[in-house]
Amino acid sequence: MKRLRSILGNSGAVLTLALAALTPFLLYGWFQSAIGAAHLRIDPTYSGGEISHVIERQGYRIVVNRPVPRRSPLQRIGPFVQITWTPADRLPASLSDEVDLDGDGVPDVRVAIDTQNLVVDVTPLSARYRPMHSRGVTSFSALIARVKDGIVVRIPIG
Amino acid sequence: MALTGLMTEALLLGVSSGPVCLASCSPVLVPVLAAEQRSPRGTGALLAQFLGGRLAGYLVFACIAWLLGLSLHFQPRDQALIYGLADLGLAIFLGGYALAMRARPAASCDQPCPAARARLFAHRYRSFASVILGFVSGLTLCPPFVAAGVRAAESGGLAHALLFFLWFFFGTSVWFAPSVGLGMLRRFAAVGVVARLTLFLLAGYYGYLALIVLGRVFFHA
Amino acid sequence: MPDRVLHTPRRSVGKSLLLTLPILLWSLLMFSRTMMEPGRAPKLAAGVTLVFMVALFFQMMRTLETHRWRRYFFVALGFLFPVGFIWQLFALRGSMSIPVERMISGDTPFCFLAIPMMILPAAIAKTVIFPGSILPTTSNPHAIAAMVAIWLAATLVLGKGWCSYGCFFGGIEEGFGAIPKKPRIRRIDPRWRWMPWAVLAAIVLLSAATLEPVYCMWLCPFKAVTEYPAVRSFETAVQMGVFITLFLGLVVVLPLLTKKRTQCSFLCPFGAFQSIFNKTGAFDIRIDQSKCTPCVLCEKACPTMSITPEAVRSGQPLMSCMKCGACVDACVRDAVVWHIKGTDSGASSERARLMHLYSAWAFAVMFGGSIIAGTLEKIFGVLA
Repeated sequence: MKRLRSILGNSGAVLTLALAALTPFLLYGWFQSAIGAAHLRIDPTYSGGEISHVIERQGYRIVVNRPVPRRSPLQRIGPFVQITWTPADRLPASLSDEVDLDGDGVPDVRVAIDTQNLVVDVTPLSARYRPMHSRGVTSFSALIARVKDGIVVRIPIG
Repeated sequence: MALTGLMTEALLLGVSSGPVCLASCSPVLVPVLAAEQRSPRGTGALLAQFLGGRLAGYLVFACIAWLLGLSLHFQPRDQALIYGLADLGLAIFLGGYALAMRARPAASCDQPCPAARARLFAHRYRSFASVILGFVSGLTLCPPFVAAGVRAAESGGLAHALLFFLWFFFGTSVWFAPSVGLGMLRRFAAVGVVARLTLFLLAGYYGYLALIVLGRVFFHA
Repeated sequence: MPDRVLHTPRRSVGKSLLLTLPILLWSLLMFSRTMMEPGRAPKLAAGVTLVFMVALFFQMMRTLETHRWRRYFFVALGFLFPVGFIWQLFALRGSMSIPVERMISGDTPFCFLAIPMMILPAAIAKTVIFPGSILPTTSNPHAIAAMVAIWLAATLVLGKGWCSYGCFFGGIEEGFGAIPKKPRIRRIDPRWRWMPWAVLAAIVLLSAATLEPVYCMWLCPFKAVTEYPAVRSFETAVQMGVFITLFLGLVVVLPLLTKKRTQCSFLCPFGAFQSIFNKTGAFDIRIDQSKCTPCVLCEKACPTMSITPEAVRSGQPLMSCMKCGACVDACVRDAVVWHIKGTDSGASSERARLMHLYSAWAFAVMFGGSIIAGTLEKIFGVLA
């Protein structure tokens, strides 16, 4: 028994050495692939949620995400819906769009954006959404920001 | 039949909401159960006190839901006020609970000296505090809870609303049963030390949250 | 004063060089890509780092000591990582504060300290409560999958030895702790050792309940030397105040006063989490009762208070042991030794030390060495 334990212990030590040598060539790639294959997603309060539908306009697109609800009573970031105007470089200096957020064909909010100064005015056309006037980031659930190739607006719900 | 349907609906809603309830109650429940270092049976008794307090919170909310009818649409300011007060309550009770853990009632004391009285108060406070902590944890406005409230308000009389919340409570409580297993950790003295320290940390966290939230309500309104 | 065994063994230069050869070859392999990059700065940086790491390993072989030479590497890593990181931040956006845009776009580099908080929400809801990206992108090579993969590999190889060979923050307090000759505060209540476990319990429970990385938002002292949310409100001002206070207190002042790694010992929840993996590692430290006097030199040398009278009686340090080697080097009676689990205590302790060091140093060259080289490249790029 003692001999077996000793053999196992020494084998473990050799294996550790082998694992250290294999880390940059094999382990790192394997583990990274495994995590990538786990179908994890970034929390929607950060990522903005999945894309629901896209509205085509002249020269640009409006990408509407699914609403991000509050999923825990202790969660401090309130529910919101994220909309992105893209590509940012081709947007006019100011624009106003009526946007259907829930995909039923009826506009839910009117959004007016000053794309140069990143100021947004949201007028709700449905009781579900709150009015918003924001310059830059007010909170995680109410903001206008230039993110990569788009202008992102988050409108609070409820 | 309609009553059976109501109870079934409430039970299923509770079971589906249980993980959210467990996750939101765990910061309070787990350190309290671990700090007490009781046997699984004793832990079960403490869990029952906590859940009893939580049920009281649910039933109070059921009464409010029925009285308000369908108007359960809380303004953000009112929501923030409830959250802030709940956080403050949690901070005070958690901190007091952690301090009371240090006091054990004297085995025998010939005269009722102040120190012995204080220890006895602390010992009784601990039993009382677990119920209060459960009550405060029950006063949440999570979406399933609000949905249950709306449904309860629609269900007819006050008795129906109370029945709905009772079965909703049973459904969520199924998920709490495994916490009795924390009693098996009582042989590790370190678990008790860590749990008490955790209570202090959590009291600080909730206290700070209460300060921020109530500050926003009263000074930015 | 205990009898001191006059005892300064050394290995011959020839044997030490031979034992260093595998690390030299490994380092050449690891730095070969950097050496082939155009320009003088990357070649110089890779060369300096290679010589540094190989020289330290040679000294470990020659002097039969571990802790002193490991510490040079670890302190270099602890100070050069923030320098390189902050340099990059200023080059990219002119500030250390994290704009919300960066969080929304998934470009926040992932930090291993967040791992314990991610586990429950990821397991239950398949959601990662961190504003980064799952897989590496051109704008964010330090994605979650990449950092977690490194951590997994390091945990298999090092266990809690990560805290001595991998953590790119621990070297800061180890550096400050090495400055004074003697500690000003000698007696520390041992119950404080449980605080990291309490912090771990609190942040795991709160993060699962709030779906926020609570430690990153409220308690991480290393926010003071990396990225932090812009101070725009009372809340963010208090957050920043907490970060700076904890950094100055636990990472600078207390190590200077106690010569201990006080942030690691009294706060770091990741260290507590990593302690669990001391059970899975192949190597540990053993204390031979027959040789121990006890003179408590090992207890005084341990930077994390992992050696107590009870631990000495039980024959091994507490599970918070970081395998830094300070206790082994401090013991004048060879009572504290490196050990391969499952084998006889005391048998071939130098073989155990060598096998541990080859694994640990291979990882250190690959990971910490690349960070050191990256920062040196920036510095040399400016100086050249």
